[in-house]
Amino acid sequence: MSVRLLVGTGKGGFWVTSDDRRAWKVAGPFFKGWKVTAGVRLADGRFMAAVASDIYGPALHVSADGEEWEQLPSGPAYAGGGDRRLREIWTLRENRGVIYAGVQDAGLFTSSDGGASWAAVTALNEHASREAWMPGAGGLCCHALLFDETNPERMWCGISAVGVFRTDDGGATWTPKNHGVPAALEDKRHKGIGTCVHGLAQDPGHPDRIFRQDHLGMFRSGDGAENWERNEQGLDVSFGFPIVIDRASRYLFAVPLEADQYRVPLGGALQVYRSTDGGDSWRSASAGLPAADAYGTVLRGAMAVDNLEPGGVYFGTTSGTLHASADLGESWTNLPAILPRILHVSAWDGS
Amino acid sequence: MAAVTVTLPSLLDPATGGVREMPASGDTLREVFADLIEREPRLKPHLFNEAGELRRHVLCFHNGTNTRWLDGWDGAVAEGDTVLFMQAVSGG
Repeated sequence: MSVRLLVGTGKGGFWVTSDDRRAWKVAGPFFKGWKVTAGVRLADGRFMAAVASDIYGPALHVSADGEEWEQLPSGPAYAGGGDRRLREIWTLRENRGVIYAGVQDAGLFTSSDGGASWAAVTALNEHASREAWMPGAGGLCCHALLFDETNPERMWCGISAVGVFRTDDGGATWTPKNHGVPAALEDKRHKGIGTCVHGLAQDPGHPDRIFRQDHLGMFRSGDGAENWERNEQGLDVSFGFPIVIDRASRYLFAVPLEADQYRVPLGGALQVYRSTDGGDSWRSASAGLPAADAYGTVLRGAMAVDNLEPGGVYFGTTSGTLHASADLGESWTNLPAILPRILHVSAWDGS
Repeated sequence: MAAVTVTLPSLLDPATGGVREMPASGDTLREVFADLIEREPRLKPHLFNEAGELRRHVLCFHNGTNTRWLDGWDGAVAEGDTVLFMQAVSGG
């Protein structure tokens, strides 16, 4: 049961591989000196990675084998003339043959030709409420994308610190869907935004069941984000960034942090919380993780599941430590590597 | 049309495949930049912003002179001139 992790850091990308999910090999860095901010494995088998530099900006690279990478000739880009800049690509997803890139400054771009050309999703990027969009601490970024496997016209995106938007017409129009989540910063004119979504997860097979790690707590929706309710039972603290779900078990995983100026594990104990009942309750599932003196933050893109059975769960910290569980969080292995600040983790089967 | 030599920093290896010196030609610096981007389009988003200006922390020297000190990019270039790109380095 082999697994390949793409670990994106502030100083390059690393492949972390295992044939048994117990013993791990680390290879890299590639894109040395660049931030690796997102990754996806495309349906055609290619890897796609987003990189960024504070000096030289962002780019997309593709690789057939994970060894030789080639920068795409073009990538998502805002038109010139305004003050909007494409600073980083925060998330990459593929759905029904279309590649989606969520970016900072916040926006969404699509490619229908394998990344050769990109188009802006204008109805979202130029949304009427945009004048009131405010950045979070990580910037104004579109970082989470969910799709409806039963309805090709519907998808969701999460923008910090704006909230969740949904389209029901294939991207022609977008509506904020944040009812029930308190606003972090309420706008005088534009209502329904100003919420700070940090991470989204979706129940496999039930696309309208969505789980949300928000700046102001843990929430879930059973109706496609029309309404949100808190589901924090068992959480000592409810601030955090990532939330992921295992496909087979539907177990949820999150890493609560002490809110919100501090943003590190409560009391220095690095803990993963798991919900085995669809978010009704949460319990620590942290055996093997550092129980003291651990103050690394887990960023929104730095946690992933491999969707093998039993499910593997992986996350990295801003301190550069990487942690793996091959048994749905029952036990954890702390990988013997100290990487640069970890921004992104993706997991795929096969090494 | 003058042929010039453009030197690129190692950090841009992923965009150029490791090529750090490229030929480009033009009668002005603006034309040289345009020719450079035509030869290697992958450099465009790394050197220039959406407004077509040099990225804020990208330095460009024409024959050793910071192009930000020039009165625009329309001055003449000559055969054998050099253009050097590098990143601004500060802090520590």
